[in-house]
Formats: sequence, structure tokens, C-alpha cells
Amino acid sequence: MNETTTYTGFWQESPRPGILGWLLTTDHKRIGIMYLGCIISMFIIGAVLGLALRLELIAPGPTIMGPQTYNATFTVHGIIMIFMFLIPSIPAAFGNLLLPLHIGARDVSFPKLNLLSWYCYMAGLVLVIFAMFGGGGVPDTGWTFYVPFSTQTTTNVNLAAFAAFMLGFSSILTGINFVTTVHRLRCEGMKWGRLPLFVWTLYATAWIQVLATPMIGITLVLVILERTFGAGLFDAARGGDPILFQHLFWIYSHPAVYIMILPGMGVVSEMIPTFARKPLFGYWAMALSSLAIAFAGSLVWAHHMYASGMSDLAVLVFSFLTFIVAIPSAIKVFNWISTLHKGSIELAPPMLFALAFIFNFAIGGLGGLALGAAASDIHLHDTTFVVGHFHYVMFGGGGFALFGAMHYWLPKFTGRMYNHKVAAIGWALLFVGFNITYMAMQAVGIMGMPRRYYDYLPEFHTLNLVATIGSWMLAAGLIVMFVNLWQGLRKGAPIGKNPWGGATLEWAIPSPPPLDNFGPEDPVVTKGPYEFKGVVADEY
Amino acid sequence: MNSLANPTAQAVDNVLIYIFGVSLLLLLGITVATIYLVVKYRRSKYPEPTSDCHGNMWLEAIWTILPTLIVLTMFWYGWTNYTGLREVPDDALEITATARMWSWQFEYPDGRRANKLYVPVNKPIKVHLKSTDVLHSFFAPAFRVKRDAVPGIDTYVWFEATQPGSYDIFCAEYCGVGHADMTTSIEALAEAEYATWSQPQQPSTEPRGLTVLNELGCTGCHSLDGSEGIAPSLFELSGQQRKISVDGKLSEVTIDVEYLRRAIREPNAELVEGYDPMMPSYDDATLSDEDLQAVIDYLLGKVAEAESVQINANELLENNGCIGCHSTDGSESIAPTFKGIAEREVTIIRDGQEMTLKVDVDYLRRALLKPNEELVKGFPGIMPAADYLSDDEIEAIIQHLLKQ
Repeated sequence: MNETTTYTGFWQESPRPGILGWLLTTDHKRIGIMYLGCIISMFIIGAVLGLALRLELIAPGPTIMGPQTYNATFTVHGIIMIFMFLIPSIPAAFGNLLLPLHIGARDVSFPKLNLLSWYCYMAGLVLVIFAMFGGGGVPDTGWTFYVPFSTQTTTNVNLAAFAAFMLGFSSILTGINFVTTVHRLRCEGMKWGRLPLFVWTLYATAWIQVLATPMIGITLVLVILERTFGAGLFDAARGGDPILFQHLFWIYSHPAVYIMILPGMGVVSEMIPTFARKPLFGYWAMALSSLAIAFAGSLVWAHHMYASGMSDLAVLVFSFLTFIVAIPSAIKVFNWISTLHKGSIELAPPMLFALAFIFNFAIGGLGGLALGAAASDIHLHDTTFVVGHFHYVMFGGGGFALFGAMHYWLPKFTGRMYNHKVAAIGWALLFVGFNITYMAMQAVGIMGMPRRYYDYLPEFHTLNLVATIGSWMLAAGLIVMFVNLWQGLRKGAPIGKNPWGGATLEWAIPSPPPLDNFGPEDPVVTKGPYEFKGVVADEY
Repeated sequence: MNSLANPTAQAVDNVLIYIFGVSLLLLLGITVATIYLVVKYRRSKYPEPTSDCHGNMWLEAIWTILPTLIVLTMFWYGWTNYTGLREVPDDALEITATARMWSWQFEYPDGRRANKLYVPVNKPIKVHLKSTDVLHSFFAPAFRVKRDAVPGIDTYVWFEATQPGSYDIFCAEYCGVGHADMTTSIEALAEAEYATWSQPQQPSTEPRGLTVLNELGCTGCHSLDGSEGIAPSLFELSGQQRKISVDGKLSEVTIDVEYLRRAIREPNAELVEGYDPMMPSYDDATLSDEDLQAVIDYLLGKVAEAESVQINANELLENNGCIGCHSTDGSESIAPTFKGIAEREVTIIRDGQEMTLKVDVDYLRRALLKPNEELVKGFPGIMPAADYLSDDEIEAIIQHLLKQ
């Protein structure tokens, strides 16, 4: 095959040549690729920090770092993973790549705003680097910035808080863009009832991004004011209230959890029908439960605060609301499983990640029940059970969904396929290593080990050792997966339009897609996103 | 998770067992169903799907209503048992816990203070939580109770020990570099023992130095009988030679008054070979000059007559949490060590200016009362002012420190 004449789509077609063709691009696919590059880089840095934390905890007492370094490490691990990896991961990278393709549009509503949001992300990234290496020391507040500690510590909290503020702007701009795009740019025949589920979840997510993110921006600015000018808002000695900060912080940061998981649910809802060759079971239940999660998820923030000293009445109300949000999540799980019934199931690599997502998310979600109930949360709160729990949701859910999306859609965008056997090996290492690591963490938390402890009592040793060993397996899985993807997507076998037999619009255009997505004719949609009759997967 | 027969632990454990039990069944069902369907409907057996089902209203209704009912039972059970954690029995003994970076202090109704929570068994204990600086959280896993200590807000927990024993207390709310070390214990004593403990202290006949060693917990690591544990024994120290390492360099010292003073004030500056730098340093806020001298006299075999104890600066330093940060063994992580403070020249920052001065009475008084006006270079300005102590107590601490 002659490489020089190989079709390369949006990778080569550009109004500007070279690097400027990327830095000044308004093409949603190029912006998506730039996001993906940054996000994966951030993930790798965050993962290395996480492995260092686990290594420190391999035995009681100091092993590879002292307490201040440990505190700085978990703070930076959290800031990177939450604000620079999970929140932008699927929406900013795969949302940009796919949202216009899924609804038959040629770009998002505001392409220049889209580029600006990427620059806001980059500004936040640069500020975090300054916060890490500037004078004053690496921030040591944890990603939650709880006052009064965050207003007293001498480390670079202002810079880190401002970085999160900038990253918030990036998120808001993306959200505005996606809401408008879904409303305005659906192609002919793309009724609301024909939107792929991924679009529904992006739409629900975008509303949270627009409505909730300003809260974190304001709150972090208040922390900066408190630190710089002694505003006194959170200082009890001057009539302020430290618990007020926690409310303000979680009003954003709990819905942010759904920014991280909802698009992952959308990804899984695309992959399961494709690899079962069957329509998604309960389309409207799935679509509406996405909106229900976004809505109810905005009302449960104070379940992070049962032990904070807030009133018992607030505990009652927020515990009740928290259980309400469990219901749409349960509906999703049942519908995914029902989709498998009487299907024709192929365990291709993306499907493996989708099934792992269901298992991990089920454990994370069910663990959340014990945290939502008032009495049991009092014991589990601020232990490593909580750390294990949110890694099950964020990493086992959101992370695995991202990896699944990479295996499912990146061949579409590079026109080449990775090695499936190696991908399955990487998946298995990841899945087993992940569960060893975080199940051990949950168990030691039930025993009573508090989180953010760099040292611990001897009775917690065995399970910490198990978790650390699990983290090495997890790391091995990540390496296998990334190397395989990198090699396959650059040098693998070329693929046709539709390697998996998907029925959504992106599978009807060439791989990689051309700059204008659909050629001269606008697409016209006449059937739902999961009607597989007559859809044939290409051989490759 | 050992299920303990105390009221708060039972309230929490019942909820945990119910929720984890139901969750496990659901997880099992989800996993088995998924594996069964994936295996049964594999593509090699069914090249095409055998159904085109788009959904089923009845099924959707069932798996909306059933989970709703299940989670509402969890909510209600969790809430009712939570109220049990909040409603304190009327006859509870009330103790005030003050959390500060990074130590706990417990104050009893009679004004007695301790750094462990001594309680009688079979008596409800209500612990009022206060914080002097940042958020902390009182967490006693054996009783399944946890509550944040918030500056400016009064919070509480209650529990009742039903068996004598020692139970961990952790700080569960991240509070900075000493967070993981902010641990102590509930010492549940049988009623008779507690009665003895809570007696007003009798004038002691044992040497003051020995009392101090026991009170500060020194004997937890250092034996008095020559047996070696995680720390060198204190048996017949006078005139012994010790190999020590200073900044990694080995040298030999003869144990004398000066060495012991340094070894208590800044224990980790000169480490005895073969031991880890884990001893906290005891500054003059935790171990007064008088008490340090008493300890040294006791260790070197020069036991003076038991004086009429006036103010025990050692106890002040311990009970006010000073030694949580200021080591007496020379180690320095969070705050300067007390070890050798009397002979030290310190570089301080005052009004943004750096200056070096010799430690003396006036400096120590300023450092105790307005600690953050002259910060020792390299340390954060986080020390609370000790202005709640009486003048006599301040003087006792200063004199004690100057003997370090």
C-alpha cells in the first residue's frame, strides 16, 4: 500500500499549514485531539503521583517521602486528576470529537469559543505548574481546599486556586457550546428521540457545567480574598463560618462528580448496543435518567458533610435526597444488562471496557449507599473507604469509560486499528489490578484507617501492602494499553468506515473524517441511533 | 471490623451490615446476569441478534419502583440509627476535647487535663469538641463515632465503653503535616481504677524525674531495666559511651548532663546508632526546665529529694500540646526543637527582616506569648499564643526550657 497517497482527512486538510493549523484551529476534531493529548499527559503525571502515594503506604512509617511531600503529592494528584483529567476528559476530548458527528453537524455552535476554552485549559495547566514549582512550596491543602487550613498554610494555594478557577472557565465555555449545539445544529431528521445516548449525557453534563461551575469559581476567589486581604468570611473569630466554605465547595464539586461520570455512561450506552447488535433497551428511560441524574445530583452536596458539625435536620434532608439520586443510576445498570439479552455479543476491546465499567460502577454506586445513610457514613466518612469508593466511580467508571472510548473511537479518527489481543491483555491487567487496589483500600477504611494518612498503625499494614501491589498491576496494564494504542493508531492496519458495525452517523463517513465531516451533502437521518439492520461491519 | 458490644458501634454496625448485605446481593445478581448473558449470546453462537426489543414499560416500572423502596429503607434505617449517635443519655460524663495542630487535650469537669481520654466503663461519655486552629475530627473507630472539631463552633460525640481497654482516637479531618500523627487513645478503666485515676494527685514520693518519664510516655519506648526495644534503654546511663550520628556522621559521646539535655530537647539531631529518628522532641513548653533537670538527675542517678512540686513545666508542655510540634529530642519537622534551645542562636524574621539572636528569657517569653511576630526562619507561623497560661506557668516553662 502506498503510504503517500493514503487518505488522512482532517489531519491534513486545514486552512493553515503546520503547527498554526492546530493552535489556531476552530475544527472540533482538531480541538478534541489537542484536548485528548493534554488530558492523557495529565493522566500519566497524575498516575505516577498516585503510584508514589501507594508506594509510600507500602509499610508503616516513612518509606520514600516525608509527611509534607506526601501531603503535597496527594494534593497535586487530586488537582490534576479532578480538574485537569476527569472533568475535561470525556466531554472536552470525545465530546468535541463526536458531538457534531453524532448530530450531523459540521462543527459546534461557537467554534472560536471552543478554541478559547482550550486556551483557558492551557492557562490553568500553566498556573498549576507555577503553583508546583514556584516559591512558597507545593500546595498541601488537598484538592478540597478546606478552610481554615487553606487560608493559613504558606504554600502556593492562591495559584492553585486560581488555576482551578481558569479550568472552570474552560469547562463553562465547553458547556455553553454543547448546550447550544444540541439545540441548534441537529441535522434534518435528527429528532430528540434519535439522539445517540452519548449526546444525551453530554447535554445533561453541559447543563451542570454551565450552572454549577461558577460556584467553584466564586468560592475559590473567596479563598484567595481570605488569604490575601483577610476577608474573614470563613473565620469564626470574626463572625465568619468555616462550614460555609464546605457548602459552597460541594455545591459545585458534588455535581462535578456527575460531570465526570455521566459522559462515561453515555460512552457505555453507545458501545453495548453496537457490540450486542441490538437497540439500547429503554431508550427514553436512559435519556431521561441522564437528565434526572444531572438534576438530582445538584441537590445532594451536603452528604459530604454529615460529620462536619452541620445540623441534624440537614443530615436528614441530604441523606434522603442522596438516596433519590441512586435510582436513575440503578435504572441505567438494569437497562444496559437487558440490552445484552438475545443479542449477538462480541467481546471486542471496547466492549470489555464497557462491561468492566458496569461492574466497577456497580461497586462504586453500591458503596455509595453506605455513605449516603447517615449512621454508616459517620463511621466511613474520611476513611480510605471513601477514597476507594470514589476511585471505583471516577477511575473504574469514568476512567474505564475513557479507555473504552479510546479503543472504540480513536481508530475512527486515525484510520488505523490497534492489536486486539494486546488490548485484551492490557484490559485484564487493568481490571484485576484496579479491583485489588481499591477493594483493599475500601476494606482498610472499614477497619477505621483515616484518609490522607502518610503513616498508619500496624493493624492496617496487610491491606495497604495488598493495595500497593495491586497498583503495580494497574500500572502494568496502563503501560500495555497506552503502548498498544500508540503503536496501533500510528502504524496499525488501515480500517474502513465502520470497523465495529456501529449505526450512529460517524460510522457512515470515512476514517479519518474529512475536515467538513460529511462532504458536500448534509446528512439526513431516517432512523434511530441503534437500528443495526443492514449495518455491516467492515473487515480489516 | 470487629463488632463491639457498645451502643454507638451497634447502631452503626446494624446499618452497615444491612446495606452491605443488600449491596452484595445486588452486585452478585448484576455480575451473574451479565456473565450469563455475555456467554449465552456470544456472537460465535448467535451471529445475529434474536430479538429487536426496544424496551418494556413494565420492566422499567419494576426496576424503578423496587430500587426506590429498597433505598428508602436504607435511608430510614440509617437516619433512625444516626439519631442514636446524637441523643446523649442524661447521666453522661462531660469532657472537653481541645484539638490543635497536632495533638489532643482532654479537660475534665474538675479542671484536670490529660492527653489521653481516660474514661470509666459503663458510663456514657459526652465529649465536647473544640479546635483552636483548623478543622480536626474526633474519630474513634471502635465506637464508630466521628465529628469534626471546628474553630468557633461547639460540636460533640458520645460513646460508652463496655469493656476496659485502650481504643484508638484518630484525627480524621486533614489538618496539615502532622495529621497522621494526631492520634491518641481512649483508656477505658474499670470503675475502681478510674476512681483512683481521678483522685486528686497525692504528693508523690517517687522521684520527680521518674514521674515525668512515665507521664511523658518515655518509658513506652525506653526501658528502665536495660532491655533494648525500639529505643535505647535508660538503665544506668551515667558515664556510658554512645555512638551517635550527626547528619550522617558517626561520633562517640560520653553521656552527661549536656548530652541528655540535647537528647531530650532535640533527640533526632544526634541519633544513637541503630535507632530511627522517631522520638518527639520535648521543648520547654512540654518539659519544663525543672522537670528536665529532674529527669536528667534521675537518669544520672543523682536523685534529689522530692521537692514540693510547684509548677510542673513538663506537664504544661505535654498537656498544652507543645510537644506535638516542638520535639525535645532534636528532631525538627514542623517546629523548632526544644532540645538545646538554651544554647541556641536562632535566625528569626521580624517585620520581614531577618536577624539572629541568642535565646534568652525575654526571647522565650515573646515566643510563647506572641509566637508569630518573630518567626524562626524556615518554620510556618502556625503556633497558637500561649497567652492563656498564667505568668507563673510561663516563667516555669521558660526556666525549664533554659535548662534544656
